Amino acid sequence: MHAYGERRAVDGVDLQVDAGERLAIAGPNGAGKSTLLRMLATLLRPRAGHLRVLGADVADDPRRARAGLGYLAHDPLVYLDLTARQNLELYGDLYGIPDRDGRIDDLLDHVDLLARAEDPVRAFSRGMAQRLALARMLLHRPLLLLLDEPHASLDARATALLDRELGAARDDGRAAVIVTHEVERVADVADRLVVLRAGRVVLDEPTAGMDARDVRRRYEEATA
Amino acid sequence: MSRRRQLAALVRKDLRLELRTRETIVAMVLFAIVMMAILQFGFGTRDDDLTRFVGGLMWVTLAFTAVLGVGRSYVAEREQRVLDGLLVSPVPRVVMLGAKAIAIFLYMTAVEVIVIPLVGVFFVQGPYWDAIGWIAIAALLANACIALSGTLFSGLALFTRARDLILPVLFLPALVPVVIAAAGATHAVAGGPHDMSEWRGYCLFLLAYAILFSLVSVATYDAVFDD
Repeated sequence: MHAYGERRAVDGVDLQVDAGERLAIAGPNGAGKSTLLRMLATLLRPRAGHLRVLGADVADDPRRARAGLGYLAHDPLVYLDLTARQNLELYGDLYGIPDRDGRIDDLLDHVDLLARAEDPVRAFSRGMAQRLALARMLLHRPLLLLLDEPHASLDARATALLDRELGAARDDGRAAVIVTHEVERVADVADRLVVLRAGRVVLDEPTAGMDARDVRRRYEEATA
Repeated sequence: MSRRRQLAALVRKDLRLELRTRETIVAMVLFAIVMMAILQFGFGTRDDDLTRFVGGLMWVTLAFTAVLGVGRSYVAEREQRVLDGLLVSPVPRVVMLGAKAIAIFLYMTAVEVIVIPLVGVFFVQGPYWDAIGWIAIAALLANACIALSGTLFSGLALFTRARDLILPVLFLPALVPVVIAAAGATHAVAGGPHDMSEWRGYCLFLLAYAILFSLVSVATYDAVFDD
């Protein structure tokens, strides 16, 4: 449970995400989606209840959970006045990545930013900054990806990259939790849909066999 | 994960940002010079010897300059919510505290390299340069106090809506003992005849204050960011 003052933003949510599972969380504005994701990211502490991330109780051992988390937010979470490479070097050192420089080169190449590695992020377009954010998220090979409205701010190239990463995550046995407004995309990127309303789970079902129209229909029924 | 590597990375990041933008140190130096000029005119003409006030004039100037610098210490983290990226990483909060305190300490030291000699030009007509080494030692101790308390209070103010108002309200009262001791130590060696036992007493007080604030910061910093 988490509350802002008297208002309970997340209340009585009981979820488990298994290895290799891609869980989409949808819901209307103010449903508690981002609050739940920030709790999973250890940015908010639950006011009540238990939260375990990657086997670690976040109240007792948040650092163990953090070591395996990859977090993609609305903002790219990189310093605008540092270069792309300097940002990744910083995060590489914070996560204690061995062979940091080689990994950074590989990722910059992967997100098609190697040629702009020495440019300050302030000179980047929004799409380029988000591709850098993607590289930042993947840098330490996280076991759990947490994505907040990932498709809302990505350009087509970054969207394709992200969708590929989500597919690879499933194949590698890594889990992903995706908060999204774009329910039509859920069937493509997630194995399971959870719908929140007023901080509570009102729908929790697999997306196997569903197409975009089915997902939209189930979402509208749940939030009606 | 090596804490030393994390600490070095965070300090390097702050220094890289400052080298690229040159926003904080330049603003602090300009502010200090303008303030010294105002104090100079406020106290009388250039012909008046302000030697016996040198400790107070120097440290009132540096205290307000510190408020300016500390107030900017998390500007880069607030922009684009980069702080979230740091908080999600497995960096102990105490390492974040230490890195920010080291950065503020270095900013203050860089400012004083310019300001302390200028104080001699603005306010002192008697011998001053003989005492500069003793002043520098007291200044380094005062910088440690400023950096540790400033980091804690700027972290506290970070999550408040009126952070620009809250920080000076919290930080300036905490600086009062530092200003008294640093001004006293400066006065002891530059405000008239040298009194080294007085200087030593004030420096020991600054050392004790820095140790006290480092303990308070270590004990509370997790709560500042995690609660």
